Amino acid sequence: MKKERSKKYRLLQAVRILSQLFFFGLFVYLFSKTHFTGQDYISPVERYFHFDPLLGLVTSIAGRVFFASFALAGITVALTVLLGRVACGWVCPLGGVHQFFSFIFKKAKLHRPKSASAGPLKLKYYILIFILAAALLGLDLAGYVDPLSFLYRSFAVSVFPVLAGAASALIGLLYKLKLTGLGGTMGQFFESLSLNATFQQGFFIGLVFLAAVLLNLVRERFWCRVICPAGALLGLLSLGNIFKLKINTQKCIDCGLCNLQCQTQASPFPDEEWKGHECVYCFTCGAVCPTAAIGFPAWKRAPRREPRVSLERRRLIWTPIAALLVAPFFRLTPAGKRPSASLIRPPGARPEPQFLSKCVKCGECMKACPTNGLQPVLAEAGPEGLWTPKLVPRIGYCEYYCSLCSQVCPSGAIQELRIEDKIKVKIGTAWVNKNHCLPYALGKPCIVCEEHCPTSPKAIKLVETQARLPDGTVSTQKAPVVDYELCIGCGICENKCPVVDSPAIYCTSIGEQRSETNRLLLELLKTDSEPY
Amino acid sequence: MKRREFIRDVAIGSLVLNLGTKQSLFGQAAQPPDLAWVEGDSPAAITRAAVDLLGGMKRFVGRGDVVCVKPNIGWDRTPELAACTNPEVVKTLVELCLAAGAKEVIVTDNSTNQANRTFLRSGIQAAAKEAGAKVLLPSPFRMKKMALGGEWLKDWEVYLDVSEADKIINVPIAKHHSLARVTLGMKNWLGAVGGARNQLHQKLDQAEVDLARFFKPALTVLDAYRMLMRNGPQGGRLSDTKLQKTVVAGVDYVAVEAAGATLFGIKPEELPFIKLAADRKAGRLDLEKLKIEKRTV
Repeated sequence: MKKERSKKYRLLQAVRILSQLFFFGLFVYLFSKTHFTGQDYISPVERYFHFDPLLGLVTSIAGRVFFASFALAGITVALTVLLGRVACGWVCPLGGVHQFFSFIFKKAKLHRPKSASAGPLKLKYYILIFILAAALLGLDLAGYVDPLSFLYRSFAVSVFPVLAGAASALIGLLYKLKLTGLGGTMGQFFESLSLNATFQQGFFIGLVFLAAVLLNLVRERFWCRVICPAGALLGLLSLGNIFKLKINTQKCIDCGLCNLQCQTQASPFPDEEWKGHECVYCFTCGAVCPTAAIGFPAWKRAPRREPRVSLERRRLIWTPIAALLVAPFFRLTPAGKRPSASLIRPPGARPEPQFLSKCVKCGECMKACPTNGLQPVLAEAGPEGLWTPKLVPRIGYCEYYCSLCSQVCPSGAIQELRIEDKIKVKIGTAWVNKNHCLPYALGKPCIVCEEHCPTSPKAIKLVETQARLPDGTVSTQKAPVVDYELCIGCGICENKCPVVDSPAIYCTSIGEQRSETNRLLLELLKTDSEPY
Repeated sequence: MKRREFIRDVAIGSLVLNLGTKQSLFGQAAQPPDLAWVEGDSPAAITRAAVDLLGGMKRFVGRGDVVCVKPNIGWDRTPELAACTNPEVVKTLVELCLAAGAKEVIVTDNSTNQANRTFLRSGIQAAAKEAGAKVLLPSPFRMKKMALGGEWLKDWEVYLDVSEADKIINVPIAKHHSLARVTLGMKNWLGAVGGARNQLHQKLDQAEVDLARFFKPALTVLDAYRMLMRNGPQGGRLSDTKLQKTVVAGVDYVAVEAAGATLFGIKPEELPFIKLAADRKAGRLDLEKLKIEKRTV
């Protein structure tokens, strides 16, 4: 028999790789456009997320409202119902990343494909069920493991900051080598990209990403096979699969190469055992088959031996029960009962419970923030608030005429704001610490906070104060006093305060207008109706 | 003041005075005034007229010079809010420098708000680029600690794109400021340095004088087309501004500063930084004794 690999499937494989490159490139392109580009409003750079049915489903269930942009996920659903998990194999940028590293690890002989048990493949379905059940209780866990959220967050908070740091070191080196022209050009280019390079937990989130990449040493596309709940959802949706794998038994020489090389362990051979819901249509099997025995004819089905997705009944019952218990477990902390002073949410953020049920922890807002002030939360918002955004004024303040974070939020956790509305949104309040403040404590002139206060009239007023100095003399200086009603909590005062360790003026979340409980002065409440 | 500096300053001062008397002895009719004070509807026209009155840009910029035009681009505010220098004024100066034979004109500022925003929204980036300037975003790699030789500031991080230029033209905008009362040309040098600038406020008057004496602008053009009268130095509402339609230009930056103070109804000697600069012989504040050419165009 003539041994020849299929030209058609090698071509399809090449086209598929081009498609993955294109969609990964598009992802990075939109990522790079997520900053102040000169326009007040940036075109929907977060659009990628809206094609993700997992995020759409979980956000709608947990948030109890359907966010219209997620209608686009219907396209992905329709595509999957008809063609199977092509989105995983041809479009998903994280899938592309994993496959790229799998390829590299195989080429470098760090990973040798071997036949593996199919058991762990089921884990992702349990993860999916767990997430959906938790969503019923308003807990949004999708963001931690959704491929788009995972990749975007890792890129925004860790990968690109590392690249920016490396570029910065390179530019510094160019200047040292007296290549001022080249260094200057590169420097200007990087300034114009305004990459945020400082992140709390950047190291930790980077380690998680690294771990996900290194799992490809254990199995090819480990994430896609075992973990990805979005892939699991698409697997369950891939009912139609117009194109089904068929092996020409006359050509097949039982070499087993297709099973070994299959990226997602869909067991192409024998074709009755082919798992259509695991197949991502990468066409590796078709391309590697030494005798071109594998094809994907339309509307032809090989008799199936195994049920579609076979999950164990016990686990199927216990997984949602565990999820129902995990919600109260997540909420044992006092975070939900008492507002955290340092939890300053971005302008436009919904009231805390709604915000938590909608935020997918993707890091879009942190990427868009022009001052790097939005940072991933660790513990202030409880376990379910991990990696949600908060403003850390010591790192960056909320830029007055900017509403980018609200525009790029893909799930409506931050309500989109026009600039003219945003400048009126109070996200917190500034407080003067007289024990640290130069005029109050040391009798020295300063007024830096007042100078930077962006509102007009300014929320920081200056009053004459008398400080008693160690030698007994009195120094009279202008000193800051905050006007609670005018202060919007943007934090520029804290950011620019010359007392660099423990600032003499600092912002806390109290008075944030999104909250009815985190309030201070009762007469500020504007009610239309009389309570009595 | 150290003895060496004193001798140097006296020497420079007497040289300047000497030159002045010599020229007046020869009775040159075309001797330029100390200050050009021009009013008019067009920011570009009054800037052009002011430079012409001082003898034209060729007096300040030589063929092949790299010139740094240093406006105030500190704040994320649009031009009508008068927090940053008028873009038309900057544009006109860039054009004049290039026409006078400058090899390159750099326009930059170490801004307070994010530079990407202030450069764009102030309108200065577009205007200066249109005129042919090289607009540089401030870069941490271009800040270098160096000796300033100031009375208070011995050394500080200096923005090299400004300090390395052959000629520096200062283009501040006249604004209210709650500590210094007003911010004019000398305070504008805080945008030409890096480091912990917020600590300079502890002796702001000293810092202004030390920085001005270090940068030594060839020409100062004070933009008072639209002045900021309150809520300074960034304002925020149109009602914080006042349409004055004026520019004041001169070689003696202390004299320009003194003229600027009068626009706010303040006597120059009332402002400590002007007094200090005059005391140190950086320039003159006695406006009544200066030759001031006023025009309306």
